[in-house]
Amino acid sequence: MRATWLWMTVLAGLAAACGEGHAIFNVDVYSFIKGTGDDSIPYFVPPGPPDSASSTPRRIDLPGAGSSIVDSVVVNGKVNFDNQAGAGTIGLQLYLDSTAAGTMNASALALTVPDANVSGNVPTPDTIIGRLSSNVISLLAGKQVWIRFQAKGSNSGVVLLQGSAVLKGLRLTVVMNDKFF
Amino acid sequence: MRTSVIGIGLVALTVGVAAQAAGQGLIFDARRIGMGGLTLGRSASLVRYNPAYRAVPEAADRRGRPRLTIPIPLGIIQFLHDHPHLSTDPAFHPDSAGFNPILAVNTLLNLPIFLEVKRAPTPTNDVVFGIGKDSLRVNLGEAAKLVPEDQFGFGGSSRLLDPGLSIKGVRVGVVGWLHYDIGVQLNDQLLGFLRDSVQALPRTGYGVLGDGIAEGGFAPTVSYAGRVAGDSSTGVYVGGALHYYLGVAYIRSSISAGFRTGDSIFTGPNPVTPLDSGLTSYSRPGNALGHGVGGDVGVAWISGPIELGIGVNDIGATLTWSDTRQDSVFYRDSSFSKPVANHVSTTTKLPVSYVANVTYTVGKTTLGADVLNAGRGATVHVGGEQRIGLIALRGGVARDQRKRIEFGFGGGVRLGPFGLDVGFWTHTNSLSNERGVTMATSFSLY
Repeated sequence: MRATWLWMTVLAGLAAACGEGHAIFNVDVYSFIKGTGDDSIPYFVPPGPPDSASSTPRRIDLPGAGSSIVDSVVVNGKVNFDNQAGAGTIGLQLYLDSTAAGTMNASALALTVPDANVSGNVPTPDTIIGRLSSNVISLLAGKQVWIRFQAKGSNSGVVLLQGSAVLKGLRLTVVMNDKFF
Repeated sequence: MRTSVIGIGLVALTVGVAAQAAGQGLIFDARRIGMGGLTLGRSASLVRYNPAYRAVPEAADRRGRPRLTIPIPLGIIQFLHDHPHLSTDPAFHPDSAGFNPILAVNTLLNLPIFLEVKRAPTPTNDVVFGIGKDSLRVNLGEAAKLVPEDQFGFGGSSRLLDPGLSIKGVRVGVVGWLHYDIGVQLNDQLLGFLRDSVQALPRTGYGVLGDGIAEGGFAPTVSYAGRVAGDSSTGVYVGGALHYYLGVAYIRSSISAGFRTGDSIFTGPNPVTPLDSGLTSYSRPGNALGHGVGGDVGVAWISGPIELGIGVNDIGATLTWSDTRQDSVFYRDSSFSKPVANHVSTTTKLPVSYVANVTYTVGKTTLGADVLNAGRGATVHVGGEQRIGLIALRGGVARDQRKRIEFGFGGGVRLGPFGLDVGFWTHTNSLSNERGVTMATSFSLY
C-alpha cells in the first residue's frame, strides 16, 4: 500500500507538471506475460462446430491513476499462429477484468482479433490492432488488471486442426484525462 | 493521506520556483516595480545592510521620492472576484474532486496582491509513461524543464526589529534577528528519471537531499555611523556595528528521503521501499542561549549627483549552542526519530550578506544600480526614472538569485502632494517556462 502511494507521489508531481494535458500510458503487456507460458495458447479444433482454448488469467500491475478518466485504449501487437496440422481459421480474443475470475465472463471481452486462415505446418503471423471495448477501459485507471487470452477456431477440413497461438508482442496505449487527486 | 501525497509530490516544483520568488522579493511599491526592483533613495535595504547610511542625511525632496507609499491591491480584488467563496472553493481543497494543484501552487508562489495582466501559461503537453514488467519511463515533454537541475531553495537573514538610542552617531540597541535557509537537491537518479526521461532501474535509490536551518534570537548592539570627510553635499560616511548574538532557538536538519526500487519495478513483494535518513540538531526555547559575536561595516560616498555605497553584515557571526539535542531520523515501516546525543555543543553561522549601490542624478533623470546578497545568491537591479513635469517614466532590469532576467517598466503622475504610480514587472514565479507580467499600482503621498 505504502509502495503504491510512493509511486502515486511521483505521479502526482508529474501530473501537476503536465497541467491540463493528457497522461498517456504505454503498457507493455507482453513483458508481463513473456516466458510465463501464458504467451502461448495451444489449440485443438476437431472438424465440426467452432471451438476455443484459453490461457490462464495474468495480473498486470499498474501505477494507478486515481479518478482519472480513461479516454481510449489502443491495442497493438503481434501473434503467430504456429499451425501444426489441419486447416481452418484461428482468431484471438482478449478479456480484461479487475479479478481473475471475472475474465471468464463474456462481459470482460475487450478485443477480438479477426480470424486468420491457417493450414498445414506453416506459421501464420498476424497483427493485433484495435481499440479496447469502452466497457472495460476504465479498468486501466486501477492499480492492477487481469488479462486472459482466448484462441477460437473453426475447422473446415477433415483432420484435427492443431497448433499454438504464440503472442509476440502486445502493447496498450492508454490515454487519460489525468485527475490523480 | 491524500494531502500528504500532494504535498510531497509538488514539493520539488514548488520549492524550486519559490526560490525564484524569494530572489525577486516581495515589493509593494509600483515605482520600484517599474524600475525592475531598484530602490532609489534611503530604502530600508540600504539602511539595513549598510550601517553608514544611518548617518547619510535624508533628502526626501531628491529624486521625487514620496514620504509614504500605499499599495493598491487590485490583485486581491481580482482574486476574490474569481474565488468569491474561498473557504469552500473546491479548487483549493485537496479532498475535493475539483482540486487544482496548479492553481493552488501558483497562487502561493504569486500572492495575488497586484493584478496579473499576463499569466504565465502552464505547460499543457501530454505526459507519456512507458510501463513494462520491469520498466518505467516518463517523458514530461516541455514540463521536464521545470524540474530543477541544481540545488534549489530559499533563505536569508532578517532583522525583525531594531530599537535603540543614538547620541552623536553612537547607537546602543537590541536587534532581533532571524536566519533561515532551506536547500533541496534531487539525486542524479531522480533527476534523470524526471528531466531526461531515463528508465527507472531496479535496486536503485530515487530521492532528494534536503538541508535546512532556522535560528533566531536577539543581539545587543553598539554601532556608530558618521561623516568622516566632506560636508552635507559631498562627503564620506562610515558605519560599523558590533553585535553580541544571543540565540533563543535553532533547528538544523539534513535529510535524505525517497524510495528504493525492488528487484523489479512493478512486480515482486516490495516494488519500492521508502528511504528516509538524516540528522536533526536543535535547541529549544528555554534551553541555554546560543552565544556569538559579529559585526557590520559600511561606507557611503556622496558627491553631488553621484552616490556610492557598500555594506557588509554579520561578519564572523558564529554562534555556539551549548545545549543542543541531536536526533537521528530514519524509516523502518514508518518514520522514527531516535536521540543520538543531548546537551552537546554545536555551532551555527549566520551568512555574510552585503549590498552595493550606485545612484546618479542629473536634472530630472535618476539612474541607479544595486547588488544585494542576503545569504543565498546575489540579485542585481539596474533602472532609472525620468520625470517630465507631472509625469514620471521608469524602466529597469533585474537578475534574480537564479540568474533569470526580469524586466520592469512603468510610470506615474503627481498632483501636488498626491501621486499615482503603475508599474509592470515580468516574473518567473509560476509553474511555467514562460514569464508572466504583473501590474502594480500604488498611491503616494509627497
